[in-house]
Amino acid sequence: MIEKEEYIKKLHERLKKFVAPDPTPGEEALYKPVDIYNVPKKEADEYKYKSIKYAFKHHYENNSFYHDYCKENNVIPDDIKSIEDFHKIPLVPDKFFKSYPAGKEFAMWLATLFTGELPDIVIGKNDDHDDIINKFNKAGLVVSYSSGTSGKHTFIPRDKRTFNAAEYAIAKSAVTMVYPEWEYDFNGYLLMPHPFKTNVFAGKVCGVYFDIIKDVKVAMERELSADLIQQAMQTNLKGRVIRYAMQRETRKIIDRIINWLRHHDKKGDRISFIGAPFLLYFVMEKLEKDGEYFNFGKNGAVVTGGGWKIYEDKRLSTEEFRKKVEEILGIPQELCLDLYGMVEGNGWMVQCPEGHYLHVPNTYYHARVIDEDGEDVAYGEKGRFAFLDGLAGSYPGFIISGDEVRMYEKCPVCHRSTPVLEPEVKRVRGSEMRGCAEEMRRVLSMDMGGKDA
Amino acid sequence: MLREWKEKGYIPPKTMVQLFIKGSFELSKVMLKNFNKLKKVREEHVKYIPPKRMYEIPEYKPGMKVVKSNEKYLRPTLFCNPHAEEIVALANHLGAFEKEPYEYARDVFEFVKRKIILQIVPIDGVVATLRRGYGSCIHKISLFIALCRAAGIKARYKLYALTVIDQWYDTFINVDPLMREWYDAMGYFMLHGEGEAYIDGKWIVADVGPTPERQVASGIPITRFGDDSIGLWADAIPGGIMRTESLPIGMGLLSKMMMSISPGSVARMNNNVINMYEKGKKMLEEMGGEEEYMKRASKGYKLPSMKLERKNIIFE
Repeated sequence: MIEKEEYIKKLHERLKKFVAPDPTPGEEALYKPVDIYNVPKKEADEYKYKSIKYAFKHHYENNSFYHDYCKENNVIPDDIKSIEDFHKIPLVPDKFFKSYPAGKEFAMWLATLFTGELPDIVIGKNDDHDDIINKFNKAGLVVSYSSGTSGKHTFIPRDKRTFNAAEYAIAKSAVTMVYPEWEYDFNGYLLMPHPFKTNVFAGKVCGVYFDIIKDVKVAMERELSADLIQQAMQTNLKGRVIRYAMQRETRKIIDRIINWLRHHDKKGDRISFIGAPFLLYFVMEKLEKDGEYFNFGKNGAVVTGGGWKIYEDKRLSTEEFRKKVEEILGIPQELCLDLYGMVEGNGWMVQCPEGHYLHVPNTYYHARVIDEDGEDVAYGEKGRFAFLDGLAGSYPGFIISGDEVRMYEKCPVCHRSTPVLEPEVKRVRGSEMRGCAEEMRRVLSMDMGGKDA
Repeated sequence: MLREWKEKGYIPPKTMVQLFIKGSFELSKVMLKNFNKLKKVREEHVKYIPPKRMYEIPEYKPGMKVVKSNEKYLRPTLFCNPHAEEIVALANHLGAFEKEPYEYARDVFEFVKRKIILQIVPIDGVVATLRRGYGSCIHKISLFIALCRAAGIKARYKLYALTVIDQWYDTFINVDPLMREWYDAMGYFMLHGEGEAYIDGKWIVADVGPTPERQVASGIPITRFGDDSIGLWADAIPGGIMRTESLPIGMGLLSKMMMSISPGSVARMNNNVINMYEKGKKMLEEMGGEEEYMKRASKGYKLPSMKLERKNIIFE
């Protein structure tokens, strides 16, 4: 079996183009550890303190709105003397990232949110959100978004460097967790919008999939714009027409995936799926209906992400899903892992194969679970997930999410040293439904086989 | 006359026309699709007792001070007559011409927000609202504006289409299948708003719609004079905010027509608002008042404020 060090080194070689030549403490804390989920506590704390302190100082000094926010909260970088002071760092509620103004002011809002200077960006009189994002991106940024059920998007202005770090981090997180199974010779199916044709973060960040395995097929080839998503989410005539077209497309996608499975099964190839669980669920439903089963065993791996709503009225548990994957595709449950992340952050929580708890990286990322007063709750208690992200260089990544979680200091099942979240992450009451899979599910009108069909 | 109408805002702005066309189109579709359901809902009798007025209207005395100006934002407009005797009497009672403009406008805000219960009724004038003691958010805004104008403070409407938080969705939309289908088809609620008063060179927003009790029942902070509802319990549809001097012509008739489609649905919504009000009142009593509630609410998560910067953005 390949040594872990060698395994990660091979991955690092594949990811070289994402590596910053002059790493910040946050980037160092991502690149250097061999196993980012198993760094001894003292060492992890050192990395983390340096990363977060550096990021906080950077945003305090170079981002006017965050600087003012810190002043309002009476905090300066010198106040952060140890990890125990991290609770003083002002957190920005995730709702803030969707409280943008309309019209040309949207461009100014993005610019103000952005930490540091921007190149010249020319905005036209009639530019809509997609036009403005594309102009920012042409100027070298990677503005991406995610949307919720209200149809209002969450926009995050990453620079190339931050986006590279996010891609590096997602690849390293997933590959580390499936050790020693990853190899370049895998064939992959990306159950997301095409990374190079969308600004949806969940799709875009999966661009790295093309770098770490030799052959990748993409489920959703068409371009997915913010406008299209917004229209498809409405139940008016236009929305219905879009979804009808998408539904037809989805049936074709399912057939293509099944043919792909047959092809690689016949050849004895190694396969992997990355992306939204609902799509694979529908593939498996069709296979089951047709009485067709595979036995990929350890030649297969599945990494899901983005939410577990399957139909409008049905939420699937990760456990049910794993069992189905094992039963229909023959892929063992320890190679079917869920990943939790969000558009506002660059940290990725991945399930461990042993217990399927979501492990939180703790070298460049500091997770908190807080109550409605913003105070930390004890380990094991339910609260709102919040985090300090040492990789966010272009916007202040100190965020309160709308997700409800329970965190434990140690994994109850495996030996890894990082804190863990319970596998089922839910939305806090009053927060709108979100998640990249939910976004895609709505667009593709996935109630194809459900009772609402 | 047409020019005057246009200037006063009697002719609805383009955005509003688009909203109404879209709203009516979607509503017609929902009605056609659910013809039998609609028939059933219309026949259904929903028990509804309107809330009692919470105050006495002060007596009007000849010679009471009032600003009668034809200046924009000060003059009477549709459904908003600041020169009506009842309005003048209340304005004087609330301290017009005695208090500083900000102080007076804040007290007007508190009166309208707290004393007028939100109920969905067809649009009518400010005197009717004052006599009744309840009305929709549009009625409440008109009353706020009339009381400001009577005291010589310029005031206007800020109207927009919106999406709301879950708790308010449950109160207004989820109560009725037709209403839900209509909202879901549109993706937003057609019209809501706030008042704005011009004081010391700035427009100050007044979220008079929800009473504090309803905000408590929803678990959101009680909005004060100057606090915006956008971002707190509502999100405006991008590009949809309209600031006008007046409500447009036809709004009264349109609101009457819409409410006659399914009176039972309206009654259900109104009952829910009253229940929410009672629930919030009880909660406030139990926790020891608004101050304590606000202390708890203010501990929550605040959104940072942002002063927009241009940086290197060039506008064509």
